[in-house]
Amino acid sequence: MEELLDILKDMKPGVQFENEANLIDDGILDSLDVMNLSVILNDEYDIEITPLDIIPENFKSIESIYALITRLQED
Amino acid sequence: MSYTSFSYLLFFLGITYVLYTLFPKKYKYIVLLCMSYLFYIVSSSWLIVFIVLTTFIIYFSAIWIDKINSIFIDVKKNLNRDEKKNLKNKLLWQKKAVVCVMLFFCLGALIFLKYYNLFSEILNFVIFQHIHLELPYLKLLLPLGISFYTLQAISYVIDVYRGKYKADYCLPRVALYLVFFPTIVEGPIGRYDEYAYQLYEGHSFHYENLTFGCQLILWGLFKKLVIADRANLFVNVVFKSPQDYAGFAVIFSIIFYTIQIYTEFSGCMDIVRGSAQIFSVHLPQNFKQPFFSKSINEFWQRWHMTLGTWLRDYVFYSVSLSQPFKKFNQLVKNHCNGYLSKLLPATTALFFVWICNGLWHGASIKYIVYGMYYYVLMVLGMFLEPVFIKVMKIFHIHKETQYFRVFQIIRTCILVNIGMLIFRAKDLTTAWNMFLSCFRDFSLQPLSSYGLRLSDLLMIVCGVVIVFIVGVLKEKGVSIRETIAKRNIVLRWTVYFAALFIVIILGAYGRGYDAVSFIYAQF
Repeated sequence: MEELLDILKDMKPGVQFENEANLIDDGILDSLDVMNLSVILNDEYDIEITPLDIIPENFKSIESIYALITRLQED
Repeated sequence: MSYTSFSYLLFFLGITYVLYTLFPKKYKYIVLLCMSYLFYIVSSSWLIVFIVLTTFIIYFSAIWIDKINSIFIDVKKNLNRDEKKNLKNKLLWQKKAVVCVMLFFCLGALIFLKYYNLFSEILNFVIFQHIHLELPYLKLLLPLGISFYTLQAISYVIDVYRGKYKADYCLPRVALYLVFFPTIVEGPIGRYDEYAYQLYEGHSFHYENLTFGCQLILWGLFKKLVIADRANLFVNVVFKSPQDYAGFAVIFSIIFYTIQIYTEFSGCMDIVRGSAQIFSVHLPQNFKQPFFSKSINEFWQRWHMTLGTWLRDYVFYSVSLSQPFKKFNQLVKNHCNGYLSKLLPATTALFFVWICNGLWHGASIKYIVYGMYYYVLMVLGMFLEPVFIKVMKIFHIHKETQYFRVFQIIRTCILVNIGMLIFRAKDLTTAWNMFLSCFRDFSLQPLSSYGLRLSDLLMIVCGVVIVFIVGVLKEKGVSIRETIAKRNIVLRWTVYFAALFIVIILGAYGRGYDAVSFIYAQF
């Protein structure tokens, strides 16, 4: 989780990701950010995020992003 | 059959609604399906063949993909991890082959019918004229709504391919999803899981949906007949012979065209969504007060939203998460600094989105430039962001202040108006000349020389003010229809009749007015 937090903070400095529960609805992450983040996560965690995984529920908070990574690593 | 015609509003929609109400719940979908095909035949006669073929192609493609998926589910329990991976890869290629066949026929039909002449012109110019060959110009007929229903068809099969939902074995439901008469002309480009089931299941009489639907239709008619068709009078005069005008005349004609296209397209969407709502079918929103946007990016999240989300889901993510693109990302990462490696992949993927957006709007170089115009604005915005932040710091400008927001909205409106000039002008040279003519000769001629009377101008201004107030209320989360519905019966019906008479009396039709067909219906 710490590593993921570092990636997010590096991507969007100044955002308190620990306290945000609606990253998509609140407009903190837009489609370009999600795409950039997916590319980084694919690299860092050796997973394959597909367009199907790109739904607001998977990117709405740091917990949901972490859950997505864990699920894809198990697949 | 135009959505604003009496034949549609009084007869077609009326008869369909009566039949829908009379039929038993189980068979109500038959009314919608038959009337949708009737609407298509009346509007596009034998070209109905294309949409019927598309229906069969996507129906069988999705089922085929589903069968491949079930093979994997049946077999995978008895396999180890590596065998599972191998089988998954093998089946993935089979699924990809099915998608390619579907794209070949569905997208192929669209590309051939809509873009053959554009591509043959380009190929003749670039290659064939040098070897004394020439691709012939073909007079091709475009089936009604092909640009809209093809995107819907593709989204259905790709969603099944991606495993978002299973293939639908009910052919009438798939057929109705493509041909539903309110959406066939101008969209919205809906998704299968959003409204196919709503269309198929029968809905009993619902007073609120009926009244809310009628109100939405009335609001759409107001925007189209009172504002858009009236603005068209002025727009037509200037754009027909732009060389005769300069200064304010050109500036106002561009602004009026922006008003026209917004009130017309969003008005049409209100008629479409209202028509669907009377059958208790809720269609996705296509406009969300786009002229309150603070940036071009935000504008396209509020303007023709269903096209934007379609391009995002099926072009942007497909490109940016593809294997070749991953290699490109790696290459950029290895050879560029952090700033470039962050921006290059996103801006490259965006290029495909905007070239598709431009081409989707029309088969001409002008529309490609229209797409590229927005692409360049977005890319510049992304690359220059650090500069903007620095400038704002130096001048102590705070992003959240009211005056800066107003500045951002005005800036976005100006940029959008320039885009609309490219969109409306006959060709790129005309657009450029008109743009230059905005900065010279600011003398004004009498209104009559622009094809407008003072009363027309006043009505446009009043109409725009009403649309603006409604937009502000919507931005604040006020539901106008619900607010009216809560009032007592006298006030409520006074509002309804007043709105109806305003449209009947003030609508731009009759002597001196030409009925204007919907701009987006030509796509």
